Amino acid sequence: MNKIYIYEDTFLNLLTLIAYLTQYHVTPTNIKTSNYSPNLFEENITLNLKNNPKIIAYLKENYSYPLKIMYYVYLSSDTNKELIIYYFYLNLQKYRHQLLNMRNLKCVSASLKISHYVQNEAHKLKGFIRFTELTNKVLYAKVNPTNNVLIILANHFKKRLPNEYWIIHDENHHLLSIYDKKNIYLINEKNLQLNLQSTSTTYEDLWCAFYDTIGIKERKNIRCQMNFMPKKYWSNIIEMRNQNEKSN
Amino acid sequence: MTLKEKLTILADSAKYDASCSSSGSTRKNTGGLGNASYSGICHSFASDGRCISLLKILMTNCCIYDCKYCLNRKSNNIKRAIFTPEEICAITINFYRRNYIEGLFLSSGIIKSPDYTMELMIKTITLLRTKYHFNGYIHAKAIPGASEPLLKKLGKLVDRLSANIELPTSASLKLLAPNKNDNAVTKIMAYVKNNHSKYYVPAGQSTQMIIGATKETDLDIMAKSESLYKSYNLKRVFYSAYIPVNHDKLLPTLQTPPLKRENRLYQADWLLRYYGFTVNDILSPDNPNFNLLLDPKADYALRHLAEFPKEINTANYYELLKVPGIGVTSAKRIIKSRAYFKITFNDLKKMGVVLKRAKYFITCNNRYCLDKSLFKKDFIESNLILENPQIHNSNLTQLSLFHE
Repeated sequence: MNKIYIYEDTFLNLLTLIAYLTQYHVTPTNIKTSNYSPNLFEENITLNLKNNPKIIAYLKENYSYPLKIMYYVYLSSDTNKELIIYYFYLNLQKYRHQLLNMRNLKCVSASLKISHYVQNEAHKLKGFIRFTELTNKVLYAKVNPTNNVLIILANHFKKRLPNEYWIIHDENHHLLSIYDKKNIYLINEKNLQLNLQSTSTTYEDLWCAFYDTIGIKERKNIRCQMNFMPKKYWSNIIEMRNQNEKSN
Repeated sequence: MTLKEKLTILADSAKYDASCSSSGSTRKNTGGLGNASYSGICHSFASDGRCISLLKILMTNCCIYDCKYCLNRKSNNIKRAIFTPEEICAITINFYRRNYIEGLFLSSGIIKSPDYTMELMIKTITLLRTKYHFNGYIHAKAIPGASEPLLKKLGKLVDRLSANIELPTSASLKLLAPNKNDNAVTKIMAYVKNNHSKYYVPAGQSTQMIIGATKETDLDIMAKSESLYKSYNLKRVFYSAYIPVNHDKLLPTLQTPPLKRENRLYQADWLLRYYGFTVNDILSPDNPNFNLLLDPKADYALRHLAEFPKEINTANYYELLKVPGIGVTSAKRIIKSRAYFKITFNDLKKMGVVLKRAKYFITCNNRYCLDKSLFKKDFIESNLILENPQIHNSNLTQLSLFHE
């Protein structure tokens, strides 16, 4: 039977499991979260390991950059991410600090590529998020990222807008991050009822007017625009939402 | 006049400024609103594909000057408007809170005198920094001819302070912008360079040149850029393809702006700043303009084919950078990786090398990717040109019998 090892969907739990497997020289067929349904030749194995925070502390002290890469891979939507992290971790024991230069290893080139993709998406969304002001002065924004970048975004806005109440709603992963001028809370959208009454749209209108003016007609280049600002994000970018209505 | 009309007029007048970068500053949040991001953040992309990261506006489009190429020249009969400092602050703060922008780009037409205009700009930005505690990015245009104490004051408030050189030679400037002189602009640049510090214009300065309004060759333009980079430590020189907004017998009549030429200039600009090239490497008096079919680096490689092919496992960093298809990132990766293993063509792909261009110019462990007899200028040149999809399409339409 091919063995599929199951972890609770947290980074700490995944690392705990991987550390355990490498310690006892077990090679998993795959590592998945509990909602994975095995096929005929596979069986799910749940080890119920106790989370071991020491492992993160250890990596942070000795391998902080590789740890970062593993974390970004964990946040990605790649279907094979757990196995990639497993092999990355395994090779980290062997090659230590030289690992990141070993791009001829598949787990290294894949990890770097995926983590780059995740950071890239987070960076783009730092720009593309649009807040609206609700009647109770709270700023509210919806995002639809492919990867689970909500926590990166929340940390960015904590530094940028420390004196505002804000909520970022990740529609694709059904998560909300809420900031109360002190801390960030991550909450599943099932557990929250929101009153999304927004205030006047004066500044939204001003922004759209600005946006429509700033493009130079003689240089029109929609291909280039879409390259930088993919269409999948347009539904939550107010000036582009209006563009869609105009062209219809 | 409503605020919306004002914004439309003053954004419309500001849009020809190419610079919109918001990078290079590490301004922290000090209890107010916002911070700067060192890498810069693009918040949107306009219909022309250019990034929008700053609220790019003029304080006013009234101007006492009459520069031939400028939309806002005195003799043009257009709608004029002026923002009050409070209005600019309100728009900036409210756009910033909603994450529409990374900060403010404030330029202005000249009213009364350069000093008077600068004082108004300083008043606006002071208000933004002190009353509204705004810590976001601010890029201000210095007004040529303004006095040094004002330059000092403004530079302490903003992240980037710049002045536009507008045209590559002073002869052209005299012809098209009789009220400006390039001394006033270089004086600002020298002042900013000498005072540059963590607290004075932390993100450095940039400038802009209009391309195609006057007769300069690409060599003239690049030579000017090179000397600007050397003498004033500029972060960037922006090139702006000339778009006819006014009719004047001194100005050329162009059907479309010279965008391809602008693109080549930017490519060459990168070669100067990051790839260790000099202007003499890429252009010469016999060959003063860029090849529009090939990018400057491929063009260089074909003219210096004797230097190639380069061996990936032994060539030094600057030799690697000379290879078309290898950039700064991939060259660094190659250098780091080859200490641990011998690099093959397959590994190069994983390092981000564009093999379809690089393959003609490199060897891996003394192996050439193609047949060695094909290492000839004509063969490589035609292949590189054919790979360009735009050229490919235009060739196809030329072949069509039923051309409109």
